Amino acid sequence: MAALHRFGSLCGRGVKPILLSKSALIRPLLSTNRTQQPPFLLGSQIRMSPVHNASSSASFHWTLERSLSLALLGMIPAAYVYPGAVMDYSLAAALTLHGHWGLGQVVIDYVHGDAKVKAAKAALFVLSATTFAGLCYFNYHDVGICRAVAMLWSL
Amino acid sequence: MVSYSAVPMGTSAKDEMQKFWDKNTQLKRPLSPHITIYGWSVPMLMSISHRGTGIALSSGISLFALSALFLPGDFSSHLDLIRSLSLGPVLLSAAKFTLAFPFTYHSYNGVRHLMWDAGKGFGIADVYRSGYTVLAMSFLTAAVLAVL
Repeated sequence: MAALHRFGSLCGRGVKPILLSKSALIRPLLSTNRTQQPPFLLGSQIRMSPVHNASSSASFHWTLERSLSLALLGMIPAAYVYPGAVMDYSLAAALTLHGHWGLGQVVIDYVHGDAKVKAAKAALFVLSATTFAGLCYFNYHDVGICRAVAMLWSL
Repeated sequence: MVSYSAVPMGTSAKDEMQKFWDKNTQLKRPLSPHITIYGWSVPMLMSISHRGTGIALSSGISLFALSALFLPGDFSSHLDLIRSLSLGPVLLSAAKFTLAFPFTYHSYNGVRHLMWDAGKGFGIADVYRSGYTVLAMSFLTAAVLAVL
């Protein structure tokens, strides 16, 4: 508590303490420095800008996920009204990415332990990449997604 | 005269959870019953169904893509194979419903999720109302698609 009181007394003296930034949690460590020195604050890993930390990239990913979901929702009626090659490739990309991110959340929830998470993420990446490749192959060499659904439903 | 240094805090939540799991698995402690004894509710069932249908749909797409890459014959030939089974119209409609329902459920419940993400509809009554709406719409839309 004495440390905090001292910290508070620094604020009034025109010394701007660069402690407690949003991105690095630190606790003041009292060092018994008996020489006459002006009060200064040593810090390791103190960052001023909170922009590029793990939590802001996570929330950006969250926003991307929802944007993609919204886009995919719009593609359903769009594919019905405007079937064709552009729609086929857009659907291939959106579906595989939405699935990749969705299964990624499943991995995060149920797989624990650094080695297992790494393995699961690698396997998921291979699956998603192969799925996208397969859909593109189908779009190029076969009838394409929109046409395929129409053909299947006409059975 | 004292001067101050700052050091980073000790452990993250992730580290502490890891230590918790390591210690308890090492001691071979049994896991408390959770999903086997907890009283299921409609929102709970719908939530896990959203995940289940998502996994099912994704698996279906992946199977489709892998078939395109590795199975012989094109899409038409595979459809001819199904046609050659001479399935009755009822069975065909049932099959179409089985394909359509996970898709309609996941889509409608997805809209429900996006509403929550926008901050709307969190009250318990709203959760149940929107939940029953999703279920009804999913069944109806899948049924209509099945007979098309």
